[in-house]
Amino acid sequence: MKKLLIKIFTLIVLFNLSYSIGNTKVIYAYVNGLVCDFCARSLEKNFEKEKSVKSITIDLQQKLLTIVLKKDKKLEDSKIIKLVNDAGYDVKEIKYEK
Amino acid sequence: MNILIKIIFGILSFLFTEITARPISYPGGWTVMLMNNNYKNSIHTHYSLSSKTSVGYRFEYFRENEYSLNALQINRLLKRWNEPNSQANLYIKAAIGNANSHKKKFNEKSSLAGFLGFSGDWESQRYFVSYDNRYNEAGEIDSFYQQSLRFGIAPYIGDYGDLHTWLMVKLEHIPEAHQNFSLTPHIRIFKGFHLLEVGANLKRKVMLNYIYRY
Repeated sequence: MKKLLIKIFTLIVLFNLSYSIGNTKVIYAYVNGLVCDFCARSLEKNFEKEKSVKSITIDLQQKLLTIVLKKDKKLEDSKIIKLVNDAGYDVKEIKYEK
Repeated sequence: MNILIKIIFGILSFLFTEITARPISYPGGWTVMLMNNNYKNSIHTHYSLSSKTSVGYRFEYFRENEYSLNALQINRLLKRWNEPNSQANLYIKAAIGNANSHKKKFNEKSSLAGFLGFSGDWESQRYFVSYDNRYNEAGEIDSFYQQSLRFGIAPYIGDYGDLHTWLMVKLEHIPEAHQNFSLTPHIRIFKGFHLLEVGANLKRKVMLNYIYRY
């Protein structure tokens, strides 16, 4: 009985984990003008206000903004472009995690 | 009150020199800057209404001509060029307020005052160049022109979140000032929302700047 309970619990955890990963979308935005760390903080400030965004990371070498969305949340390209523009930059290209 | 202002800005004048930073940040963002050069000390705080416009308050104390300026300032981005490996900006800055003379010959006179200026910058991850000018008008109390040019090079390329370092030199020109040219080599470091500049001009005037954005 105890082993059965452990197996059920493990299955529930694995199911939730896979569901969570499967529904967390990652978006990659390549950004023009992204050369200064101090100025790029504006991206952080703008995207942290967006309710669908879980976290962002910025790669100055690749000029890449990686946006991790909250579970089952969406973020339209037009919204990404606006948030990037408001931070003072231009979006070159948007890609989605396959 | 005048003595208090002089003491405060006398201390600041030793510690701080003019900071060149973007006059506009992100919508809803605040910036506080302490500034000083050979002839004045100032504080400018601004709030960004959008990525193209900021409004703020500026206080300046002109040591040589002994007068202070309280003004509302507006900054506007005229043009931005975002390239894959660089960014360039062109701004217009204007302020209007009141100047109060603390000099006896002006008999504590007050006057409508303000300024108009342009600034531009270009930077990559390795190089930085900026130019700034401004025409100041304070009626009978004072009127003058100022401009500055700054070059910088990053000895290493850091990524986001790293401590960034720039080696810079600033050339200032104020035709009406006693020391009308001033060359200031300095180092700029920044991490996160904090930016610090330390240096000294050729007259050994210490420079220590700090900017915080929130």
